[in-house]
Order: sequence, then structure tokens, then C-alpha cells
Amino acid sequence: MVIDPYLIGRFVGAAIVLVGAFYDLTGSIGMLRFPNFFTRLHAATVGAIGGSVLPMLGVSIYAASEPALGEYRWFMAGASAIAALIILIVAPAGTHVLARAAYRSGTAPKEPCTYDAGEEGDER
Amino acid sequence: MASRYLIAASIALVVVSLSFAVAYGALGTAVPLENIRSLARAYVTLAYAPWNRTLTAMSPEAVTSIVWDFRGVDTFFETTVLFGAIIGTVTLFRGIKPSARIGEGLSIIARSAAAVTAPMILAVAAAIALHGHLTPGGGFQGGATAAVVALVILVTFSLGYLVSGLSKERALMLRSAGLLGIAAVALIPLILGGVVFQNQAKELSQFSYPAYIGGALTSGSLLFYNLFESLAVAAGLTLTIMLLLSPHEVVEEAVRGEEHERV
Repeated sequence: MVIDPYLIGRFVGAAIVLVGAFYDLTGSIGMLRFPNFFTRLHAATVGAIGGSVLPMLGVSIYAASEPALGEYRWFMAGASAIAALIILIVAPAGTHVLARAAYRSGTAPKEPCTYDAGEEGDER
Repeated sequence: MASRYLIAASIALVVVSLSFAVAYGALGTAVPLENIRSLARAYVTLAYAPWNRTLTAMSPEAVTSIVWDFRGVDTFFETTVLFGAIIGTVTLFRGIKPSARIGEGLSIIARSAAAVTAPMILAVAAAIALHGHLTPGGGFQGGATAAVVALVILVTFSLGYLVSGLSKERALMLRSAGLLGIAAVALIPLILGGVVFQNQAKELSQFSYPAYIGGALTSGSLLFYNLFESLAVAAGLTLTIMLLLSPHEVVEEAVRGEEHERV
């Protein structure tokens, strides 16, 4: 039995998109259920990295292994991969800037808090 | 000094080209057409029509061909209004030196992310501007995208860092150079025996910008308009951002002026 490599690629791509949907679901539940700003920011980042970088890579793999799209599949695959890379760089930086500003200005309440590294004189 | 002459020349050229356009009846008659839909149909049909070289703009992007060819004078006036507003801002904020003191900026993580993404944003801006005659986009959109780079650098590094790279005078000079380029592209056909804002050859005036350069479709004057417009918009918006986000003390000191003894 001969297995079509394109078929495997499409299955892998679709599976990655499904995993991304799971991350999106957990991220949105966390956004609603978490107690304070910093933990909700964590949930938002789960949605950004797991819920958009991962599915975009899946779309890239899927498009590359779909010959019916013709030459344009490389265009779609490349654009998705580059978009995923850019989100991978920018989203954590944005979250970091938000968290740092909220922490240093003290506008967001820290309760409930189990461990605060910034209070041990690690202020940079 | 050279920048001052360039600014004066660009203002003079804008006035001359405007009066030419008005004197030649470029504004047309004020009476609306009977059948306005046929006009729209003609624009869309003729945007890219190599079989009808005397009426086409040779650009598959209908919006750009309307903006810079069919209705070029409209766009020229819009550009003039925007740059009048920028000139007004510069005049209001005259005497203000955006401080060249390089601040601390945000954390190293934010600065690294900005340093990585800024060239990418510039590349996208250039693609939007230079592909404006082929795909949706154009000079204004590309220039506005390029101005985002200045805003990102201003926020993550500092105003001083931006000013040390691109001073107020240099931004004003770049803006004037772009405006001068637009006026030159509009007036060159007139000098060479065509009409103002001519792109492809018409039946009565044979002047034509090259539709293809090295085998690539450049749509005649549209590529040059997009190029110079993006330069002017990027520099103008950067200049406005720089002035509007100057520190309060600097602005106040410049606005207050000198102290005079009351007689």
C-alpha cells in the first residue's frame, strides 16, 4: 500500500489547527476565570501563541501539501509561516511590556499572590 | 541651507503647477454627467487595456489608476491639503527643538522586539508603495505604514533616539523632496509637449511614460507617483509625530517666548 505524502501533510496540518483550537478554548476560559490582571495576561498569551501561531503553522503545512492550489500554495504557505514567526516575536514582547508597566506602576492588584520575585530586590 | 532652498522651490512649484492646472481647465465643468454609471464602467474597463493604448492607464489596479491617472488633479489637491496641515503644524511648533537627549527607553526585551520588527515593517511599507499599481495599496498607504516605524522607535527607544537619527530639518527636507518629485512627474509631460498629469499617450499628445521597464509592468507615471508620495507621507507623518509628542516643558518654553520688561 502506497501512502501519499501529501495526504500525511494535510492530516498533520489539520491536526495542528485542531490543537490550536484547543489552546484558544483554554485561553478564553482562563481569560474569564483567572483572578487578576497578570494571570489573565498569561491566558491571553496562551491564546496568542498556542491559538494563533500554532494554527498558522498548521495552515502553512496544509497549504504546502495541497497540489490542487497550484503554484499559489507556496505563496500561502510562506505568508502563513512568516505571519506565525512575526506573532511569535511580537506577542510576547507586547505582553511583557504590559505586565512590566502594570507591575511597576502598581495599578493592577497583585492579590491573590503566591510568589513575587520583584519584591526580593530583583528590580531591573 | 540646501534644505531651505529645496523647501522654497517645492512651494513655488506647487503654486505654479496648481495655477497651470486651473488655467488649463483641469477642474472641468461643474455640471454633473447625465449617466454617471457609464463613467465608472469606463474607468474600470480602461484601467488595464493594452488594446486601447490611447485611453488606458496600463494598471491592473483600478483604484490607483483612478487616483493618479484619471482623477490625478483630485489627488494632487488632497495631497496639498494634507501637506498644508503639516506645514501648519510645523509653523505652530516653530522654535521647538525636539530634545536629542537619548532616554532609557523600555526594557531590553521590548527594544529587541522593536529592532527585529522595524525592518520588517519598512519592507512591508516599501512593498505596499511600490506595488501600488499592481495590488491594493499605494503611496499614501505605504508611507503611513513606514511612519509606524518611527512611532514604534519613539515609544520603545525614546524621542531623542529618533531625533538623533532623523532630525526635524531632515524630515522636512525629505517631505519636500517627495512633494517636489510629485510635481516634477506631473509637469514633465507638459514640458515635453504633453498635458499636465499625462500618463500614457493620447490621440492629441503623444507623450507617454514607459508602461514597462525591463519587462516589468510599471504603469507609466503611477510607479513614480507612488514612490514620491510614500516618501512625502512617511517623512511628513514622522515629523508630525515627532512634534506632537515633544515633552511638555520643551513646548512650553518655546511657546512662552522671551520675557520683556513692562515699561
